[in-house]
Amino acid sequence: MKTKKWPFVYVGVITAITYIPILLTVVYSFNESKISSVWGGFSLKWYVELFRDRDIGEALANSLILAVSSCILAVVIGTTGALGMHRKKSRINDGVAYLSMLPIMIPEIILGMVFLSVFSFMGLPFGMVTLVIAHTTFCIPYIYSMVKARLAGMDPALEEAALDLGASPVRVFFDVTLPLILPAILSGCVLAFAMSFDDVVISIFVTGPTVNTLPVKIYTKMKTGVTPEINALATVMLAATIFILFVAHLLGRRKS
Amino acid sequence: MKKLFTLILALSLTAGILTGCGNADTKKESGLSGELNLYTWDGMFPQEILRGFEEETGVRINYSNFSYDEEMLAKLEETKGGDYDFVIADDYILELVIKEGLAQKLDTAKLETYDNLNPVYMSQFYDPDNGYTIPYGAGIPLIVYDPALTDVEITGYADLWNPALKDNVAITANYRVINGITLKTMGESFNTEDLDTIKAAGDKLIELAPNIRVIEDNNTQDLLISGEVAAAFLYTSQVSTALQARDDLKVVYPEEGLGFGIMAGFIPSDAPNAEAAYAFIDYINRPENAAKCFEYIGYYCTNKAAEAFLSEESKRMIVLPEGASEGEIIQNVSQEAEDLHAQIWNRFKAACD
Amino acid sequence: MNKKKDNHWMLLAPIYLFTILFVALPILYMFLLSFLSRAQVWGVDFTFTLDNYKKILEPLYLDTFVQSLKLALVSTVLVALIGYPYGFFMARMNDRWKKRMMLLIMIPFWTSGLIRLYGWIIVFRSNGVLDKILQGMGLTEEPLKLLYSYPAVVVGMIYVLLPFMILSVYSSAEKLDDTLVEAARDLGASPFKAFWTVSFKLTLPGLLSGVVLSFIPSMGLFFIADILGGNKIVLVGSVIQEQVTKGRNQPFAAALSAVLMILTSLMIRLYRKITGTAKLENIV
Repeated sequence: MKTKKWPFVYVGVITAITYIPILLTVVYSFNESKISSVWGGFSLKWYVELFRDRDIGEALANSLILAVSSCILAVVIGTTGALGMHRKKSRINDGVAYLSMLPIMIPEIILGMVFLSVFSFMGLPFGMVTLVIAHTTFCIPYIYSMVKARLAGMDPALEEAALDLGASPVRVFFDVTLPLILPAILSGCVLAFAMSFDDVVISIFVTGPTVNTLPVKIYTKMKTGVTPEINALATVMLAATIFILFVAHLLGRRKS
Repeated sequence: MKKLFTLILALSLTAGILTGCGNADTKKESGLSGELNLYTWDGMFPQEILRGFEEETGVRINYSNFSYDEEMLAKLEETKGGDYDFVIADDYILELVIKEGLAQKLDTAKLETYDNLNPVYMSQFYDPDNGYTIPYGAGIPLIVYDPALTDVEITGYADLWNPALKDNVAITANYRVINGITLKTMGESFNTEDLDTIKAAGDKLIELAPNIRVIEDNNTQDLLISGEVAAAFLYTSQVSTALQARDDLKVVYPEEGLGFGIMAGFIPSDAPNAEAAYAFIDYINRPENAAKCFEYIGYYCTNKAAEAFLSEESKRMIVLPEGASEGEIIQNVSQEAEDLHAQIWNRFKAACD
Repeated sequence: MNKKKDNHWMLLAPIYLFTILFVALPILYMFLLSFLSRAQVWGVDFTFTLDNYKKILEPLYLDTFVQSLKLALVSTVLVALIGYPYGFFMARMNDRWKKRMMLLIMIPFWTSGLIRLYGWIIVFRSNGVLDKILQGMGLTEEPLKLLYSYPAVVVGMIYVLLPFMILSVYSSAEKLDDTLVEAARDLGASPFKAFWTVSFKLTLPGLLSGVVLSFIPSMGLFFIADILGGNKIVLVGSVIQEQVTKGRNQPFAAALSAVLMILTSLMIRLYRKITGTAKLENIV
C-alpha cells in the first residue's frame, strides 16, 4: 500500500494543537512572577518550593497507586464482564451492563455524596480502600465499552477453531482472545487512568484523613489561588514520564 | 505498551516505598507522639510551619483538603466528628458544625498563646462565647480597578452598575456575597430575611449582567493585572496579590459598607488526637509563627501579638485598618431565603451569557 | 459444554458482584434521596415529597438542561468530526508510529486537567498568544475578547473529549483488514465507495462507542464552562454543585442528577436507534 503524506500531516497538526497548553505550562513554570499573566523573568524558585513540599510528593505517590490499582481492578472486572456478556446474551446481563455504565452518567458531586453515605453505612474505613472502590466504579465503563466494541466485530470462528483443536479455554483466552482485545484494553486503560488521575470531587468525599491525592491538593488551593508551583510539578511529571518512556524504549530495543 | 504499564506500576511502587521511608517517625522527646490530622483548604500553612511543628513535637501532620466547606461538614457528619483533629473553615459553616454538636469544647487553659488572639475577630455569631473556635485569618472582599482602563471613579458597589463598565467587570462566584452587595446598594443587610427585598435585589442584579465579563473565584487578580477587565470585586488574598503586582491599581473600600468573613479552626467532637491539636494551635499562634502564616496566606492577621513581627509591607495589607471591622458578616438565613438567593443567582448567570 | 457454562459464571461474577454492591446500591440511595426533603440545618428529613421533581419543571432549571444538552451535542459532533479521521489514520500507521502516537496521547494525562485548561487561558486571553499571532499576521488590530466566550468553551470541551473519540475509533479501526478494502477496489469500487461500504461500516462500533463515551462526560463537564466561559453559561452540573454546597439541598441535587442520568441514557438510546445499530448489539 502506498503511504500518503496527508494523514500524517493531519494527525501531526491536531497533536501539535493539543500540546500547546502543555508547552505553555512548561514555559510558565520558569516564571519568576506568581501571577500567570506577567512574565517576571526566568527563575527556578517554584521548583525549589516544589521539592520542599513533602505533601505534594506524598499526594503524587497516592494518586499513582490509586490510578494503577483502580485500572487493574477495572481491567479484570471490565474485561471478564465484556467477555462473559459477549458470549451469553440475556436481559439480565444487559441490565447489569447498563448499571455498570451509570457512574459516568451521574454528576460527580452526587456520586461522591452517595458513596460517602453508602460506604459509611457499610462500615468501610475511609482511605485508600474506599478511594480504589470509588475510582474502579468509574473506570470500568471505559474498559468495558472499549473491549465490547472490539469484540463486536471479532470473528467467533477463531476461538471456536482453537477450542476444536483441543486447546483449553484458558489457553484459548491467552493465545487467541487476549492478543485480539489487548489494544482495546490498553485504550480503555489510558482513559480510565486519566479519569482516575484527575478526579477531585469523588476523591474529596471518599478519602480519609491520611490519604490525600494530587488533584485534590491542586484544586483545593481555592482560598489562596493556584500557584506556579503546580506548573513546575506538571513539568517535572512530564519530564519524568518522557524520561521513563525513553529508557523503556532503549531497553526494549536492546532486548529485541 | 505492556512495558509502559509495568513501568508505571514499578514507578508507583517505588514512590510508595519512598513515602514509606518518609513515614518513619522522627520521634523527639515531647509528651506527644503520633499524628495530627489537619483538614482544611490546601495552601493554608507555609511548609516551614508544618515541618517546624513536626520537628519540635515529633507529631506527624497529615494534611488533607476539601474545596467547599459543605464537603467538610458532610464528612464530619458521616464520621460523627471523628477521624480529624483540627479543622479550619468559614464562619457560616462553623455555626452549623457547632449546632450539630460536631465540635468539642475548647479548654483554653491548655493554650499558652490564647491571649495573643485579636479579640476583634472573636465572640462572633457562630461562637458568641468563644467556646469552640480559634480565629485563623479574616477577609474583606473589596473592589480593585484600573484607572488606565476606565474613567469611572469607583467609590462603592453601585458604581459597578455604571454602563461605562460594559463587559469589563469580574466578580467572585459566591452568590451570597454578590447578592449581598446588591442588597447593600439598596441600603439593606446581607442577611435580610425579607423575601420581597431579596427579590428586588434579584431584579437589580440582573441589570448588572451586561457589565459582567467573568464570574470566577480563582486567580481573579490575574484578570486585573493583565488588563482583561477594568474592575474586579475580589477576596482579600487576591486584593493583596493584585496590589503587589501593580501599584497603579486602586483599591476601594465600598462606601455602602463592608463585608467581613472570618476563618476559624475547631477540634471535632471525637478527634483521635486532640492533644496534638492543642499543641498545634499553640504552635501556630506564637507571634513569630503566626506572622509567617498570615504573610503566607495573605488574609487579615487574627493574632494581635503577631503584628509586631509583620514586615511593614504586609502590615499595610493584612492588618485591618481602624474601623473596618464594622463590616457585616454573611450569616445563614432561612431555607426560603437561601433558595431564593440560589434562584436569583442562576437567573443572573443566564442573563450574563 | 458443561465446562463452558461454568466458565460464563466465572467471567460474569466479578462484574455482577461489583456492580450490584458498589453501583446499584449507591444509585438506589440517590433515588431515595431525591424523594426526601431537606433538614433544617444539614442533611435530610425522611419525609416523602415530589417537590424536588416539581421544582425541576420551573423554566429556570429546565433551561439549564437545554443549555447542557446543546453544549454536549455541539461538542460531541465536532469531536467526532475531528477525532474519527485521527483514530482511523492512527490505526493505519506502522507499529512503531502507533506506539509513539499512543504515548503522545497519553503523556498529557500525566498533568492535571485544570492546569491544561489554564494553559488555554494563556492562549485565549486579551493580548495572549492567539491575539499576538493574529495581530502579527495583520488579521486583527485590537485585542479580541476571545476568552470567556462560547467558542472558547467549545474548544475546551473538544480538547478534553478528543482522546475518548480517538482511542475508541483507533481500537476498532486497528483490527480492520486492508485486504477487504483492496478487494472492494479490485471489484471496481471508487476509493470513497470502498471506504464507505467497507472501512466505515467496520469501524462504526468504534465511532459509536466514541460518541457515547464523549457525550456522557460532556453532560457533566461544567467546570470547563466555568473556567473558559467565565461561569456565564449555566449548566446542570454547576446547579447541582451549588445545591450540594452553598444551597445545602441534597435532595434537590439528587433529583436533578436522577433526571440528568435518565436524560443521558435516553439520548444514547435515541442515538442508537437513529444510527440503527441494533445489529451491532449494545456496545455500551
